[in-house]
Amino acid sequence: MLIQEAMDIQEKLKILSDAAKYDVACTSSGVSRNGKKNGLGNTYASGICHSFSADGRCISLLKILFTNQCIYDCKYCINRRSNDVVRTAFTPEEVCTLTMEFYRRNYIEGLFLSSGILYSPDYTMNLLYHTLYRLRNVCGFNGYIHVKAIPGADPELLRQVGFLADRMSTNLELPTAEGLRRLAPGKTREKILQPMRLVQRGIVQQDQMRLEYGKSSFSGTRGVAGGEAGNAAKAETGKRSFVPAGQSTQMIVGATPESDYQMIRVAEALYRNYDLKRVFYSAFVRVNDDSSLPALPGGPPLLREHRLYQADWLLRFYGFQAEELLSEDRPNFNVLLDPKCDWALRHLELFPVEINRADYKTLLRVPGLGVKSARRILAARRSARLDFGDLKKLGVVLKRAVYFITCSGKTMYPFQIEENYIAAQLVGEERRKAWEIEYHESFRQLSLFEDNRIWAPVTREDAAAVITGSL
Amino acid sequence: MTVFVCGREPEDIFCGIYDAWMSRLGHDHVRLEFEGCDRELFCEYRQVETTAEKAGKVTDSIRKKISQEVYEASYKAALSREKDRADKLYRFLVYAFWAGNRVMDMLQIPAVNEVFSMNRHLNRELDHMLGFTRFSQTKEGVLFSEIAPENDLVVLMASHFADRMPMENWMIYDCKRNKAAVHRAGGGWGIVRAEKSQWQTRLHKEKEEEMFERLWKTFHQTIAIKERENEACQKNHLPLRYRSYMTEWNR
Repeated sequence: MLIQEAMDIQEKLKILSDAAKYDVACTSSGVSRNGKKNGLGNTYASGICHSFSADGRCISLLKILFTNQCIYDCKYCINRRSNDVVRTAFTPEEVCTLTMEFYRRNYIEGLFLSSGILYSPDYTMNLLYHTLYRLRNVCGFNGYIHVKAIPGADPELLRQVGFLADRMSTNLELPTAEGLRRLAPGKTREKILQPMRLVQRGIVQQDQMRLEYGKSSFSGTRGVAGGEAGNAAKAETGKRSFVPAGQSTQMIVGATPESDYQMIRVAEALYRNYDLKRVFYSAFVRVNDDSSLPALPGGPPLLREHRLYQADWLLRFYGFQAEELLSEDRPNFNVLLDPKCDWALRHLELFPVEINRADYKTLLRVPGLGVKSARRILAARRSARLDFGDLKKLGVVLKRAVYFITCSGKTMYPFQIEENYIAAQLVGEERRKAWEIEYHESFRQLSLFEDNRIWAPVTREDAAAVITGSL
Repeated sequence: MTVFVCGREPEDIFCGIYDAWMSRLGHDHVRLEFEGCDRELFCEYRQVETTAEKAGKVTDSIRKKISQEVYEASYKAALSREKDRADKLYRFLVYAFWAGNRVMDMLQIPAVNEVFSMNRHLNRELDHMLGFTRFSQTKEGVLFSEIAPENDLVVLMASHFADRMPMENWMIYDCKRNKAAVHRAGGGWGIVRAEKSQWQTRLHKEKEEEMFERLWKTFHQTIAIKERENEACQKNHLPLRYRSYMTEWNR
């Protein structure tokens, strides 16, 4: 293993951003904070995308590892101990300079600092703490910071870091304990969940404090939220709150044989029991040639990842439960239909829904209607009876919704509310999209023929038809 | 039909609305147009004079009699790229003064829907511009940025960056409209009209600047996962028209 300390910053950035890119969480959302008089930066609750990389993902944060040296040997990870790659590390000063200078030029929304485990979890967490401390208190940086909570690090250290960061995350990586045992020797589920629990407790305590003391008198006691050590933290960090943008985690899709059902059950449990803000899904990329990893001749499972995100949205914003979407008997998502359409088709007895009468919850369950559309419908129908023309004006996309709604008792055009008919209509549309995700295309030229068939093998009849000229 | 001819800035438009409204000719008999538009037969044309007082009266009564929300929507509509924005805003306000703040939910009404669509387009572009704008450090100690948005966004962008970078000198120049927002470190900001030649000769890139630009380009390239490359998706999110002003695309 080559460890290079004296390397120029250009090389370091190349290596340490390259090593960090498999972490998909790059949002800068969750907290709104105004600028500070003598500082640099503010944050927006909805987050801001600053650029898009060649893979089409948003670049919002300067996503880097502090070091790519690591004591662990996780099979799926490019930085595992047994890999022979050039190793290096930033200094806290370098990270600060990069963050400040990039931020001033509006390249980024903040910093995403992760790290390999150098020597020990405590040692690494300490390095991260010193970097963030310098960034916040010496450089006066007031923008967004997302930092990793290193499993196994001292709880006190985690707390201190929590007062400097906006979001913390601990990656579960593999959804089941069995998967972890196979691919990540040295890590256990308990060990990963422990920092998650600590951060959650910190946030809950803080919220309780806010309730008890009220807002006005609270500002002075905010630091106590972290427990006994709070006073020290308060003295050091001023009025900063503890992980205000909440925590997130990531699961790898397709490295181990877990089903979609297992994945969303785990996600649901994390949202419920750990108050996570986000669970990210990362299609497995085979960076190491290891016999225990699956071969993926078709590239990363992008469609599966896409379906999981769709389901994740249904869990968080649409009031769905994991059991409604999948079950032990049907453990994986339909390739041809998005999870909401799939659910609606299995529950046609609940449709069609009357736009002028249905409540918010019911509207949200209609395929094609989102949170925004549903809210606009509720607001607009207070002053008028809506018809399909009005819905279009509100910006409601009717492509899918049209099979599931009525306006004043009428569907948009006559059709039979029957599962096979509707499924056929929806699948035609959805198959195109699914194809685009699988084959990395967003636009295709229209063709005279049903071109989804071009991948089907040539049949006997086809061959005969060509010969006899009876096309 | 009486046509009121006004300038293109929000203040001019609000004055046009004041004159048209106060002429007491009836909403159906007045129209607002910009200077330099084609003239029609059988119309009377009246030139609108812009004064701070008239504009203030309109904005005050929107704020007080309707709501801050409607005022913001109206102001953004006045900054829109829409050619007919002055008249469309007038039609919207006719409804707004009748319905009050409820008007924001009455999207099925065409006049309201027009302003809503203008707002939506502007907000979307503003979201993009807040992220895609790039500054570069000059020797003169000013962070400089050049933009060419479709809507007139400089004012809205300036208030965003004033909160974000209060201790920096910066300047955002809109090269389509030849105007700039200029901010002084630790102070306020203002809008100035300036031709490109006026600042081009005075500002020079800092030596260190190239190093950070190179670092950013490196980061932008290495952060992409090769196995997931998807140019169409990238183009969807980051349309080509923005790229000529972005550091990472100037190779």
